[in-house]
Amino acid sequence: MYQSESVIRNHYNNINDWLDQMTSKVILEKNAEAETHFRNIGITFSTNNETARERIIPFDLIPRIFTYTEWLRLERGVIQRAKALNAFLADIYNQGEIIKANIIPKEIIYKKKSFEPSMFGFSPPRDIYSPIIGIDLVRTGPNDYFVLEDNCRTPSGVSYMLENREIMMRMFPDLFHNNRVTPIDDYPTRLLQTLMSLAPIKCENPEPVCVLLTPGPLNSAYYEHSFLSDQMGIEMVESTDLFVEGKYLYMKTVDGPKRVDVVYRRIDDDFLDPLCFNPQSVIGIPGIMDVYRTGGVNICSAPGAGIADDKAIYIYVPEMIKFYLGEQPILDNVETWNCEKEQELKYVLDNINELVVKEVDGSGGYGMLIGPKSSKSSIDEFKTKLSTNPKGYIAQPLLDLSFSPTLIKNQVEGRRVDLRPFCLIGEQAQLSSGGLTRVAMNEGSFVVNSSQGGGVKDTWVLAE
Amino acid sequence: MLSRTAEYLYWISRYMERAETTARLLDVGYRMSLFPNPSGYNNEWESVLSAAGAIEGYKNKYDTIEQKNVEDYLFFDESNPSSVYNCILNARNNALVVRTSFTPESWLAINKTYQEIQKLKEKKFTKSDLPDLTEWTIEQVNLFRGSLSSLLRNDGYNFLFLGLFIERADNSARLLDVKYFVLLPKPQYVGGNIDNMQWSILLRSLSSFRAFRWAYDGNITATKIADFLVLNNNCPRSLSFCIQNIVKHLTNLTCSPEKVGRIYNNLKDLNTKIQEEKIETIVEYGLHQFVTQFIRKISSVDNEIHKEFFN
Repeated sequence: MYQSESVIRNHYNNINDWLDQMTSKVILEKNAEAETHFRNIGITFSTNNETARERIIPFDLIPRIFTYTEWLRLERGVIQRAKALNAFLADIYNQGEIIKANIIPKEIIYKKKSFEPSMFGFSPPRDIYSPIIGIDLVRTGPNDYFVLEDNCRTPSGVSYMLENREIMMRMFPDLFHNNRVTPIDDYPTRLLQTLMSLAPIKCENPEPVCVLLTPGPLNSAYYEHSFLSDQMGIEMVESTDLFVEGKYLYMKTVDGPKRVDVVYRRIDDDFLDPLCFNPQSVIGIPGIMDVYRTGGVNICSAPGAGIADDKAIYIYVPEMIKFYLGEQPILDNVETWNCEKEQELKYVLDNINELVVKEVDGSGGYGMLIGPKSSKSSIDEFKTKLSTNPKGYIAQPLLDLSFSPTLIKNQVEGRRVDLRPFCLIGEQAQLSSGGLTRVAMNEGSFVVNSSQGGGVKDTWVLAE
Repeated sequence: MLSRTAEYLYWISRYMERAETTARLLDVGYRMSLFPNPSGYNNEWESVLSAAGAIEGYKNKYDTIEQKNVEDYLFFDESNPSSVYNCILNARNNALVVRTSFTPESWLAINKTYQEIQKLKEKKFTKSDLPDLTEWTIEQVNLFRGSLSSLLRNDGYNFLFLGLFIERADNSARLLDVKYFVLLPKPQYVGGNIDNMQWSILLRSLSSFRAFRWAYDGNITATKIADFLVLNNNCPRSLSFCIQNIVKHLTNLTCSPEKVGRIYNNLKDLNTKIQEEKIETIVEYGLHQFVTQFIRKISSVDNEIHKEFFN
């Protein structure tokens, strides 16, 4: 919000005035109102160490604002990246040109667990493997945006993006009269259009039947699953609702079986088909992969799409953009050391006090070390881990994430934020006009994950 | 509509209806406990427990029957599958899955109820709080039912109401049965003052006391009450009203006419019989026998609905 110590960036002026005229009593009331609203609609999540059964994510009243020009650049950059990631998937599951060109070594692709051998030689509709991509971005200076990671499997959080806006419009309608905020509520419609544009070859239905496949109510993103299927007007199914007969996939309805064309799956590869993946899985649909490969159904995202967001592959995304699109990357990667390489591991071990070390397969802010913020004992612990299993880790410099004004105990204080906008790729590629801003609510913290005390904010993109 | 969605909708309204019945039963016990307890009558709390079908579970947990424990067992106890708490929890868990199949208001009504009962559960209650708890439950269930009025009249709506009336038919029948055979073990009391008093409490527990006064003149008699609760089509809790509505919502289903047909064939006779029967004949035949048969029939219809639609 601030340009320098005391100069407010232009587009935050309105918000500043609005904050000035709110008394602490009003702030308290509005905070309580938001919390009650989130509880009532049931937008809750569960964490790994479960004490309370259901928690809600802290919601901060002060929106984060992007100007139209700021956003334009992000939009181009994210779409560029999403296209390259899809091109990469199409390539490695077919010709493997990027390997032949010696840009990415084949071991780091073909040996990864997230690489799916059964996808080899198969091309999904429109060659789109990952139609919904969430890109995590951080800002470190006026125009310095970096991509922290890509999410190509089933990125979550879009329901927060939509609900945060909903509650803000409900509590502060005047804010939206006085600011020209680009609407985001057409996201579910666009998502449905994207899914429908990815119908399989054998689909004869001009309006393909799409379903959302959820692992069930115990999943931490369950609210999002029901929210999205509701907004799109499609059925939310569990795998027991689906079955394969002949060369097609059907859902069990009160009218009898109904054919399904597109499955927007929110379950992991391992649990899709016990005949093909994990035979122990009790939540799969036996035979669905066979139907998929013979064009009877489309699965979004494609099995094996996860290889594209592997932390070891991440390093090569700028190269991919040049290789597949012939363009210069608009958004930069964060400098990353791949501990698998001896040279880089040595550097990491020597400079661990300055670095952030992450597990290659970790998520949710677990299993990471923030060097400058850690005690000697946990640093030593990570050194041992790195030496015994270098393949399992990458390291990055500690970025000075941008601050966003946040209400802490009725005072406006700066807290670090990141951003996840959502990119859709089907018949066309498009970016949500906004995204999920996550904020590290604890003073001095760098971790924005909701499982670690992170909160969320409404994210505005101002109209031109 | 997904079979599972239909099943969950059906059970949501069953659970909500059951929550109300259990709460009303507690109210019956509470009112009866305010009157002197003559010998020959069973302990009112024991009859409440049997009416709720919870007597066995209760006795496994407690040695003596005491108001405080009965209240806790029927209202909050998580080990009692029919406690108000569990009914609301189950309804809410089902609603979580099918929330997109009814209105946001219906979800809100159920979820708010769930949020509130979580808080109620943590509070300490005294005996005299029971009427408040009952009132609260009835209010919540009414909120939910009210929210259904804005639903699209599709199959989901009909499954919701099928569940509601199957549950209510079963509950009303059980209440009637309990009145006759548990509250009143000795025949010489039939028709006595205390008997009438208990009948009127039964009416109150079915929220039908005033309605009964509107519908029948003169003295409250057991026959009139039986007529009211078994055969009167104007009484929304009578067995015949429930059957009529089960038939209505069943035949309104647009999915699978042949499945609807099969269930209807099984139900047809009971419906005809109950519409044409006289109360005197039933009493002569034995109200208990009649009610037992009725309960069995309802349970077989429930089984068929599960078999035809939810599998």
